[in-house]
Amino acid sequence: MSFRARMMAPLLALFVGAVGYPLLYAFYLSLTSYRITHRWDTHLVGLSQYNDVLHNSDYWSALKVTGTFVFLAVTLELCIGLMIALALQRQKRVRDFTRSFLLTPMFVTPIAVGLMFRFLLNQQLGALPAVLGHLGITYDFFGSGNALYSIILIDTWQWTPFMVLLLLAGLEGLPKQPFEAARVDGASAFYTFRRVTVPMLAPVLVVAILIRSLDAMKVFEYVYAITRGGPGIETQTIQYFTYQTGIQFFRLGNASAMSYLLLAIVLTIVVFLFRRIERSRRS
Amino acid sequence: MTTLVVPRARRTKSFNPWGHAGSLLLVVAGLVVLLPFLWVLLGSFKTGSQLNDPTLIVFRPNLANWRDVISSGILQAAGRSALVGVITVSISIVVGSMGAYSISRYKTGGSATRFGILAAQVLPPAVLVFPFLDMAFRLRLNDTLAAVVIAHLSFVMPVVTWFLIGFFDAAPKEIEEQAMVDGLSRFAAFRKVVLPQVAPGMGASAIFGFVLSWNDLFYALILAPGNAATLPVRIAGFNTFRGVELGSMCAAILVSIVPVLIASFFIQRRLVRGISGGAVKF
Repeated sequence: MSFRARMMAPLLALFVGAVGYPLLYAFYLSLTSYRITHRWDTHLVGLSQYNDVLHNSDYWSALKVTGTFVFLAVTLELCIGLMIALALQRQKRVRDFTRSFLLTPMFVTPIAVGLMFRFLLNQQLGALPAVLGHLGITYDFFGSGNALYSIILIDTWQWTPFMVLLLLAGLEGLPKQPFEAARVDGASAFYTFRRVTVPMLAPVLVVAILIRSLDAMKVFEYVYAITRGGPGIETQTIQYFTYQTGIQFFRLGNASAMSYLLLAIVLTIVVFLFRRIERSRRS
Repeated sequence: MTTLVVPRARRTKSFNPWGHAGSLLLVVAGLVVLLPFLWVLLGSFKTGSQLNDPTLIVFRPNLANWRDVISSGILQAAGRSALVGVITVSISIVVGSMGAYSISRYKTGGSATRFGILAAQVLPPAVLVFPFLDMAFRLRLNDTLAAVVIAHLSFVMPVVTWFLIGFFDAAPKEIEEQAMVDGLSRFAAFRKVVLPQVAPGMGASAIFGFVLSWNDLFYALILAPGNAATLPVRIAGFNTFRGVELGSMCAAILVSIVPVLIASFFIQRRLVRGISGGAVKF
């Protein structure tokens, strides 16, 4: 075996063991009637689990909830993140400390973030509703119609720093000359931003949006900590719904089919992303 | 953006509204980041009745919550989380650095390898968790840390490898070629010459991988919900709103937050470099 193959072999073996095999095994599970409570009585049922999932209106509603969540959360994170990244780049004093401090939320255990905000936004015990109450505003953060937006804000609190990290790295990697030229030509700050910064940053923006979107699709902890999918099924995201079906209702075969359908969506996005990256790497 | 290149002397003379808006934004962002932490910190020192007054800021700190949370076995759970993290990261770093070196220097497997590693990072955990659970049942590993370690390898290893590829790409080739000319075997050159060059990057990747493992709830909750529960699973157990337990929940939240915050301060600058070198600069 050549040197490069020997170096690669352990990684490949673990990769197959911890990712490849479970991935195939999940597909097999999705073709069976597997229930945790009747494990010994598992048999192949073909594609009927998929048929089941596709006709399950809760699955579609979970997809819709997740889609809304991802779209709004990532949009907010991108806009706020870009503004903060630009401000950080121009900052002159206490740069290192500001950067480290503003990045902290992305390292915090998500379940702790969920519980922290559940407490902070709680109608009776929370600080924010109390402060709003003094101003004469009553707003139930986890009430019907509001809960999903509150969870989006929590995600924004935790993950805007990651957006900042990616965008700041992108901004600092940009060449200086075009900005020099724009200044010499007397372009306004906004014009420079729109016609120079954004186009040059575009590849980084695309990657940042896709990385964050794929990550946001996995949202689970906030829902688990705060709403458990409620009120009704308003905050039932795809990951939480799959967890519930597989673990709480023991329907592992059905849940595997759900997760495989989700995987199909994710893979479509990843292939798109990777094609784009490879193309820009070549050019 | 223009102020970026304006010479200092001119910039100080003219009023710059963009700069002020930027500073204001950073101050507001700083407060938004800080206040939830502060509030939980305050909450962890409040008694049950004080917790009913959310705006109470000045009071006599009370240590009962901390005593409760420590006697509830949270430190043992933190120990289990740390153990899982250290084992997962050690395996990932050893195996990942060898693989990443092979991928970086010899383009092993071409773009298929890179695609596989990238794709593994975005796999929905819901896909892999059910096979892991069934395998754990069969091997009688359910509710053990071993099951959690294997599950964590599935996402820590690809991330660590991805970062390391970036660091190896950035390391100069000449020194190791010289070392091989001087008679070191290729593996010895890798171990004694290349690895020390990327050591800071390896350290940052290791800490990052550890944080990922430490923070995971989904896999740990499903694979080890009972006696082998890790810290996030234990903390999720404080999911109650009886006034008495709210204070200890605050303390428990802090137990999980503080170690990662300390770790994050060590790696942030390198992480920015790692991301600009590996993940974004395609």
